[in-house]
Amino acid sequence: MIRFLATRLVLLLVGLLIASALIFFTLRVLPGDVAQVIAGTQSTPEQVAAIREQLGLDVPLPVQYLDWVGGILRGDLGSSLITRTPVAEELAEKAAVTVPLALLSLVIALLIAVPFGVLAALRRNTASGTAFAVTAQALAAVPVVWAGMMLVIVFAVWLGWLPPQGFPRSGWDDPAAAIRSLILPALTIGVVEGAVLLRFVRSATLEAIGQDYVRTAAATGLTRRRALITHGLPNVALSVVSVLALQVAGLLVGAVIVEQLFTLPGVGRMLVSDVGNRDLEKVQGAVFLFTAIVLVIGALVDVLARVLDPRQRETT
Amino acid sequence: MPGTLTLGPPSLERKPSDMSRIRRNAVVGLALVAALALTSCTSGSDTGTTPDADATVTVGLVLEPTDLDIRRTSGAALEQVLIDNVYEGLVSRTATGEIVDTLASSHEVSEDGLTYTFTLNDGITFHSGNAATVDDVVWSLTGVKDDESLVDHGNFANVASIAAEGDDTVVITLTAPDSNFLWNLTGRGGLVFEEADDTDLSTGANGTGPFTLGEWRQGASISLDRFDDYWGDAAQVSEVVFEYIPDGTAGVNAIVAGDIDVLTPVDATLRSQVDAVDELSITEGKTTDKYTLAFNNQRAPLDDVRVREALRLAIDHEAVIAAIGGAGIEQGGPIPELDPGFEDLTDVRPFDPDRARELLAEAGQSDLDLTLTIPNVYSTTVSNILISQFADVGVTLTVDSVEFTVWLEDVYTNKDYDLSFVDHLEARDFGNWANPDYYFGYDNAEVQSLFQESIAATDPDEADALLAEAARIVAEDHAGDVVYNATALTAVADGITGFPTDSPNARLDLGELAVG
Repeated sequence: MIRFLATRLVLLLVGLLIASALIFFTLRVLPGDVAQVIAGTQSTPEQVAAIREQLGLDVPLPVQYLDWVGGILRGDLGSSLITRTPVAEELAEKAAVTVPLALLSLVIALLIAVPFGVLAALRRNTASGTAFAVTAQALAAVPVVWAGMMLVIVFAVWLGWLPPQGFPRSGWDDPAAAIRSLILPALTIGVVEGAVLLRFVRSATLEAIGQDYVRTAAATGLTRRRALITHGLPNVALSVVSVLALQVAGLLVGAVIVEQLFTLPGVGRMLVSDVGNRDLEKVQGAVFLFTAIVLVIGALVDVLARVLDPRQRETT
Repeated sequence: MPGTLTLGPPSLERKPSDMSRIRRNAVVGLALVAALALTSCTSGSDTGTTPDADATVTVGLVLEPTDLDIRRTSGAALEQVLIDNVYEGLVSRTATGEIVDTLASSHEVSEDGLTYTFTLNDGITFHSGNAATVDDVVWSLTGVKDDESLVDHGNFANVASIAAEGDDTVVITLTAPDSNFLWNLTGRGGLVFEEADDTDLSTGANGTGPFTLGEWRQGASISLDRFDDYWGDAAQVSEVVFEYIPDGTAGVNAIVAGDIDVLTPVDATLRSQVDAVDELSITEGKTTDKYTLAFNNQRAPLDDVRVREALRLAIDHEAVIAAIGGAGIEQGGPIPELDPGFEDLTDVRPFDPDRARELLAEAGQSDLDLTLTIPNVYSTTVSNILISQFADVGVTLTVDSVEFTVWLEDVYTNKDYDLSFVDHLEARDFGNWANPDYYFGYDNAEVQSLFQESIAATDPDEADALLAEAARIVAEDHAGDVVYNATALTAVADGITGFPTDSPNARLDLGELAVG
């Protein structure tokens, strides 16, 4: 186990290093220049050059890269080229919107996927089971933007139950208002992601139903359903957990779109406008942090899988 | 695209609970749940004509500033909210483009147009609590003259000296007359800052205006609070919140739902949704927003005036304006109605596709391929119409939709384009046509000399006449095409008065804003 952990840690660090180089140099391929954005359309080329120099953009790229990596090693993700606000500070502020949004979406997705996925599998040969499967198939194909617009029209504009856009200025000081403003965005992501996840749960459950150990458990006198729930579902959980890790990336992408759609001041909306302004130092800091989160979660899931699944412990 | 959704709800009456549109300050204002419960809290409407001095007004805007440092960061979004509200200059401009004294109680220009004398008002105080002195004025203006990284530095090229006389007079002398100088002082270059101040202007502010900067929540909102020690007439509301809603549909949804009190601009194609609500009214304002189809005058075949004329005659301007929902007026020349030197020049480019085809044939360009570079913040309505109208005269138009930053680099800086479409919203920007290095690439010696004469003219009427003459040449030379001069639609909830409706994209002076 210790050797496994050590290998996994080294892999993680190598992954982070490669990611940092990819992020830094790919962003530099983008046309456009933050100095020109700051200077605007009434400026002279001399003014733009002066601003570039002030921002340190005239330094060779490899030197800029090493400076940045050095900063990360000291725990400094960099700061915005425009406002000079530290990236970490702004991310923390925006995370107060995006993290609850992602968690709420995840909860909604799981609430849809797990019960209905298992039900769809148990009733696979009945009309209701087929209905679940078909509905999930259809929902999974719905574009997030369209789903969001429909939810806004029905629940915000027609019924007036929830705000159509925005996040309260009081933030989490007023939790009720904050949560109300996140419900429609979270539903938008959650329903679509939940439908995707439902299909995984359904097929994993179907697979478990056919397994020998479920049949054996049933043979000991348990009902088939009871056998599945006590012996089959832990195995279903295993595959769902690993899919969930992949879904975290999906949730972040969903957040980018949904924050635009609902005008939520979260990480996704910040990134979109930073890329637009070519505030590359801020973009690379934020993107690196996300990459790190996804890589770390991936590593944790691997470790968790070994804990949950005794077979994996024996093979390596 | 969310912006193109035109589905309407079955009923657009505002919920009764939202009759309490004007929220009383931060205590209840931000709690949506509380607002729903407080159906009886109708400030304003039942208090008669007395303005509600504790009111908060929430204004929906589209474009958020990237940074608050008004001395260094360009962009109309910054001037729109900060000038006249937080920062003030010696003089400022009204919504319709007149110049008025602000921090100056009066100003005088010498006969020869070289000496500007400003007398300061009494009791001007910075938000820091310190008195604003003539020395602060001199220091601020001298900074713009000396520091080339400051916005509008170029406008001070003619300035010889800036000096204080006594404790309430500032004298600026020029090396040559400049009929635009006073106007330029109404912009960023003329704003007054405190010399002994260490506020980080990127995220904070310290001006002399009727509002202090409350809070900037990046990606969401900027709030302004009434400054109680303001030297002039105090603001009539206690707080103004600007909420940034980039998507036109989301903005309309927000005002219909009662989340915001004012929305500007309203996407004209969604106007009916606002009109359907009894408690909202829409005003139409004039602007200097010139949606400009630029021709690269330096590049063949656009260096041929026949090709440029053909392109202009091929455009049915009336049809374009109808397609964008009617929120625009035709403008035949480079100068809009609000600016000096305006005259109606629409007759130089009638809609005449037959003549356009003839001109293209004469120029040997019957089968022409052109690329239109357009920032992706603009809707595709105009570019789609241009594709079909140009196709009708044999011009194949390829649309290259790019990020604004890419437009800045390719079109603005490198001048690598055929046609470009952006909104030039700055007032009095005719000088771009007299600058051969500008991205238009329009190089006409006569226009340049007329423009210089108009700058040097000491009589305003003469300056205007010279500008008009130059503008006519630019129009007849078909150097570019203003597809339309935008009309600004502003939706305002009942009970709110004094919200400026002309040129709202350029300046929002909220000194008169009131609720009641």
